[in-house]
Amino acid sequence: MSYSIEIKGLRKEFGHKVAVNDLELKIPEGSLFAILGVNGAGKTTTIRMLTGLTTPTGGDALVLGHSIKEDLEAVKKLVNLSPQETSVAPNLTVRENLEFIAGIYGFDREKIKQKTLQILEQFGLDEVAHSKAKTLSGGWQRKLSIAMALITEPRILFLDEPTLGLDVLARRELWKEIERLKGKITMILTTHYMEEAEALSDEIAVMVKGDLKAVGTLEELKRLTGTEKLEDAFVKIVEEM
Amino acid sequence: MKSFVFAKRTLKEILRDPLSYIFCLGFPLVMLIIMSVVDRSIPAQANMTVFHIENLGPGIAYFGLTFVMLFSSIQVSKDRSTALLLRLYASPMKPADYMIGYTLPVCILALVQMGICFVAAFVIGLCTGYTFPIGAILLSVLALLPSIFLFTGLGILFGSAVNEKAAPGLCSIIITATGMIGGIWMDIDGLGGVIQKVANALPFYHGVTLAKSPFRENPKDTLVHLTWTIVCAVVVYILAAIIFRNKMKKDIR
Repeated sequence: MSYSIEIKGLRKEFGHKVAVNDLELKIPEGSLFAILGVNGAGKTTTIRMLTGLTTPTGGDALVLGHSIKEDLEAVKKLVNLSPQETSVAPNLTVRENLEFIAGIYGFDREKIKQKTLQILEQFGLDEVAHSKAKTLSGGWQRKLSIAMALITEPRILFLDEPTLGLDVLARRELWKEIERLKGKITMILTTHYMEEAEALSDEIAVMVKGDLKAVGTLEELKRLTGTEKLEDAFVKIVEEM
Repeated sequence: MKSFVFAKRTLKEILRDPLSYIFCLGFPLVMLIIMSVVDRSIPAQANMTVFHIENLGPGIAYFGLTFVMLFSSIQVSKDRSTALLLRLYASPMKPADYMIGYTLPVCILALVQMGICFVAAFVIGLCTGYTFPIGAILLSVLALLPSIFLFTGLGILFGSAVNEKAAPGLCSIIITATGMIGGIWMDIDGLGGVIQKVANALPFYHGVTLAKSPFRENPKDTLVHLTWTIVCAVVVYILAAIIFRNKMKKDIR
């Protein structure tokens, strides 16, 4: 099996606080890998280290064969993320936001045009293409945020709490988009929502206070904990393991 | 290339904010008109030349740059408060791309503002019996170029150092200082004393005097004013780049 990400003893300390504790993890290529954990578990810090936003205190990770410590520039060209907070340029239209990000990743004018059209259609954003991003609802903004990450053709997409704060319908709508991408690229998803991880993930990791407590498929985690539902398995892992 | 893409985005963000037009273009024009009316009300015996259109035109062109600083600081601090910069920090953009991307649109805005200011001053001059020499206007614009970088640098500096609520407050101190001791609203040379010493120590008086020089018969110490303005602009801009870079690291920590 080939891996998109190989994390080797990755560690992050903020002063005396250990946010991520010598993490060891391998993420298979093309999979949707969910990282679960309560607040302060180290999910976002892990993603931030893997995308070059935070420098690790120790350890390393190979992202598509490139070290995040020694070859970060190469890593940045191959990955993209949709941050926890909606990250769009508020006064630009939906189309302009997409063109802007494609331009930042060095696409030429022709490719920007072609990719923008493709992504607008793929995400059903055509109808709001000329609306300013700040006028969109939370669900549409989050959709645009993910579309902006995808327009750069990343081989790995990091989705940090992609449906946080969205209503049920908007969440389900976004799940559909994520499901469509499965198998095409590697996705790393952090979430608080058990049903989200259950519905979307190929593999799930559970982090508690910076430590990796369990990794496996949904069935493996249920078997490991002797539970029927992911939520029960999660609680058991967090409280007892 | 990335810096130009970022610059285009920044320009669009600024131009789509109606306040840009009010402060960057409208306000200097209104000041020009009001102060010209004030000038007409001052008796000739008072020998007060500071509000004469040949002084007011370049003075307000300089003063307008303080509003450009205000917008640059608001843009940088606003960007820092949103997750958009987080996304960009994870992209292949380098710190220099951000600096160029913030500087270019502000320079364009400043040049447009100066153009409008001098055209308005030219028209007011014609109405009041003074014809601005075109060559002198061009020289004055050239003389104002280092000050564009000074105020852009100050905008980026404040926008990087503090949040979007505090940045306009810091800018208002500079706006007041520029107006008071820059020699736009009062004759600093005539005042002398501590005020002149303070004015000499800061770049604003030098920048304003430099902008007025092409309209004077015997401009004095032009090289001193130019050197001081350029030195301050370079120092402030480098400082802004350092603080932006440090804050960028801190923001994503």
